[in-house]
Amino acid sequence: MSRTPRYVLTGGLAVLFLAPLLWAAIASVSPQPGTRQIDGWGLGNYQTLANYQAGIGQYLLNSTLVAGMTVLFTLFVSLLGGYAFAMFRFPGRNVLFLLTLAILMVPYATLLIPLYVLLNDLGLQNSLVGLSLVLTMFQLPFAVFMMRISFEAVPKELGESALVDGCGSLRALLHILVPAVRPGLITVGLFAFLAAWNDFITPLVLISDSGKLPLPLAVANMRQQVMGIVDYGATEAGVVALALPCIVLFLALQRHYVRGFMSGALKG
Amino acid sequence: MRHNRLSRAILAGLLMTTMAACGDGGAQGTAAPPAGAGVEGVDDGSKLTLWTRAPLESQAKALVEAYNATHKNQVELTIVPNDDYVAKVGAAAGSGDLPDLFAADIVYVPNWTKSGLFHDLTESIGQLSYADEINQGHVRAGTYEGRKYVLPFVLDLSVIFWNKALYREAGLDPEKGPATLDEFKEHALAVQKLGRTDVHGTYFGGNCGGCNVFTWFPMIWASGAEVMADDGGKSLLDGAAAQKVYRTWRDLRAAGAIAPGAKDETGATWVAAFQEGKVGVMPYPATLLQTAAKTVDVGVTAIPGASAGTGSTFVGGDGIGISKDSELTQQAWNFLSWLTSEAAQVEVLAKNDSSVARTDLVDNRYAVEDPRVVTINKTAAAPQSRTPVAVNFQQAFNAPGSPWVTLLRNQVYGDASSLATDNEALTSVLAQ
Amino acid sequence: MTTSLTGTEERRAPAVHREVVRKRRGPRLTGWAYAAPTALFVLIFFVVPTVLVARMSVSDWNLFAGDRGYNAPENFTAAVQNRLFWPAVGFTVKYTLVTTVILLVLALGLALLVQESSRWSGFLRTAFLVPSALGLASASLLFYALYSPQSSPLGFLGISFLGTPAGALWSTVVLIVWRFAGFYMLLLLVGLQGISGDVYEAARLDGATRWQTFRYVTLPLLRSSLALCTILCVTGSMLAFDQFYLLTKGGPDNSTITIVQLVYNLAFQGANDLGRAAALSILILGALLVVNLVQFRGLRGREN
Repeated sequence: MSRTPRYVLTGGLAVLFLAPLLWAAIASVSPQPGTRQIDGWGLGNYQTLANYQAGIGQYLLNSTLVAGMTVLFTLFVSLLGGYAFAMFRFPGRNVLFLLTLAILMVPYATLLIPLYVLLNDLGLQNSLVGLSLVLTMFQLPFAVFMMRISFEAVPKELGESALVDGCGSLRALLHILVPAVRPGLITVGLFAFLAAWNDFITPLVLISDSGKLPLPLAVANMRQQVMGIVDYGATEAGVVALALPCIVLFLALQRHYVRGFMSGALKG
Repeated sequence: MRHNRLSRAILAGLLMTTMAACGDGGAQGTAAPPAGAGVEGVDDGSKLTLWTRAPLESQAKALVEAYNATHKNQVELTIVPNDDYVAKVGAAAGSGDLPDLFAADIVYVPNWTKSGLFHDLTESIGQLSYADEINQGHVRAGTYEGRKYVLPFVLDLSVIFWNKALYREAGLDPEKGPATLDEFKEHALAVQKLGRTDVHGTYFGGNCGGCNVFTWFPMIWASGAEVMADDGGKSLLDGAAAQKVYRTWRDLRAAGAIAPGAKDETGATWVAAFQEGKVGVMPYPATLLQTAAKTVDVGVTAIPGASAGTGSTFVGGDGIGISKDSELTQQAWNFLSWLTSEAAQVEVLAKNDSSVARTDLVDNRYAVEDPRVVTINKTAAAPQSRTPVAVNFQQAFNAPGSPWVTLLRNQVYGDASSLATDNEALTSVLAQ
Repeated sequence: MTTSLTGTEERRAPAVHREVVRKRRGPRLTGWAYAAPTALFVLIFFVVPTVLVARMSVSDWNLFAGDRGYNAPENFTAAVQNRLFWPAVGFTVKYTLVTTVILLVLALGLALLVQESSRWSGFLRTAFLVPSALGLASASLLFYALYSPQSSPLGFLGISFLGTPAGALWSTVVLIVWRFAGFYMLLLLVGLQGISGDVYEAARLDGATRWQTFRYVTLPLLRSSLALCTILCVTGSMLAFDQFYLLTKGGPDNSTITIVQLVYNLAFQGANDLGRAAALSILILGALLVVNLVQFRGLRGREN
């Protein structure tokens, strides 16, 4: 293939992938009947969003808290778990690992009712901490798998030399191995953030205090008006508000998480 | 090995508490009877919680703000997305965690009263001097085994809207809407005959169960027939009056008088075309009068039947009750008692262009300013108006892909001879 | 780096003894200690709720009324006899096949396209990956507006995106491919980078054509990456819910109802029967375990 057609073809593909996002951004500020932004261009739909119920500030704060806690929990659990699965042999290792992966295989719609009951028993109902714990659980298959292969990809000599040096395993982990698996950690953290930031059904069932709702739920609430009529303008504005932080973070960390995947033992 | 034993202990403990919590259905015994504190209940500065679905947000907000401004009790409102309301209430009901007050789409109320989600309000309602003036459709839907559990929260009525400008253009009397189904068809065809590409005779949600329950049932009631028998256990939607309704829509479809997109319309945009001035005449939610009147010169009349009469409407909207889990029942009753009072009905609901839920208040000072609002309020109290009651209403009619959607699509677009089979499928879901 | 955090006694013990301890008992205990948070999470938030789901599946359990006693196997027979059960199974399988094939072929194509490191490839990679940053719900909402006659910029095409069974299926597939192609591309890219340049060099020296190299060198060496993608894609598609819940609601005429949607409908839309919903979930879990075990075998067999 010669140069120019190749650029045209691949560039066209890239445009196809970017077009829906660009369209949403443009449509959210363009005039449209049945929305707040009827005449001319402007931020009317974002005003709808900003002034909705508790105000967008509260929703953003809630989402940030939930996403932040989920990232912390996920990093903590998967760092230790990945280390255990990669570096140690202990009874029940394979069972526990497969059980963790099995989380992927259960329809979450069914798990939510038992989880609701469970959080009530733990005194974590209607709390952002409880919500974060559940979201962390849903992240574990990917996170633990990722951290396991990251640790497995670390040259054996590095880990062993740390232990032979007389380092305790925890010290070896913190001082020598964590820097080595940093790309994996960033990948896991990023995906935990994206999942927690965007999740909709879990907070719907688990959170009932309207002051504690995260942003996606507010957007979904706003979408449907009287008699099931949809405010498309507010929906588009909501999608943009939800997507923007994710895309920024995604681009900022791109180099790291691509390396996170590359460093894994997924090879060949 | 310590971890093994520890985790086993945790597992055992958790299983037991989880199972136990699921077993008990909620503690109704501890709360005081709502009627115990007299007709107005208790206003002692308690914090009450109230859930409602997103479509009623504006009315619910206005009501709660007015109540909080004039009472010591403070109501905290939670808005839930429409499609997920049942999931949320169900999850809370299972673990005894319902709010003090919650509203429900009136067609789901029979199922929820039967499941015991509400406190018995029979005595409390009996104490109200205007008990008999409260919209009987809603009260009946909230009655189970002779006990009353629910009061109307917000009414939503279906009426005929027509576009006066298009009527004038089509040579129809712009001040007179259709009084029979045949007239409805004639009017729609007349507007269609204008031959304008962007204007059509009528429109409907061809893939929307809820829309056509709301708009077609009144056509059947206005014809003097019923839609269900055996307390909502049997469908009568294969009757002569129903067939007349289907034929009317099928003819309109065959004549090309239904605006494009109707066949795929799942209800998300079924009211949009009329608001944009592109539709001549159609059954419409009365709640949207003010919205539609911004862009279109709207005429309003009751939904007609086969022959001329008072017409009918579907008395929809939401009912509200005190939950089984509430421990502040007398305080919650204070809110309900206020809700049905003139202060709330006229000074909040009527003032914000919503329908009132009391027959003695239809001619209130806000309604008389607009004769169309009086028409709407009077239709709500008309003898042929109904709130249909069936325990399996949602499954049979409103749920996506319900047997009712299958039936109506066959009648308008498909093989109309399948009516008997489709109706049987409907009955078998209703009778479950 | 000469002190240990595992305990003062151990620090005082001779080095030789310490090595023995670590080899015999130490690693087991330490292994468990590090795995404990994972184990606790899995136990509390996954195993316990799953056990409860299993119990629901053998009980007459209404959403509002709660547990009304043991009734096995009624929920399972009722779930299978539901009028939408077989259509849902059929559609879910069809959707899974269509999505998996298209997604993997496209992802492989994209990975081959951007595997060399150049600035242009970097830009393309980013462009293909950006949709992965969106939540599935946000992406579905975006396409919901994109497909709606009221707001769509594609109205000139004259297509009813969600109005016909075929339209609804393909419109959803487009959404999913858009959202996930970049992610799978990345996974495959990792596999591609793992293939050593020497192998290609050898193939070139043997006079292999481009196609032969791809067919006999790249594909076999990519097998485990492809297997991983297949497992993820099949599992995700068989549990498809959000996209259909937001876009089609299972319509038109129940043509796009998936099995998880049926679970949701049984639990929350009308029937409010948690027992049957749980029974159906258990059936899905069983089916997925079987499918994935078979696929795992493929993956493992290659690695060893």
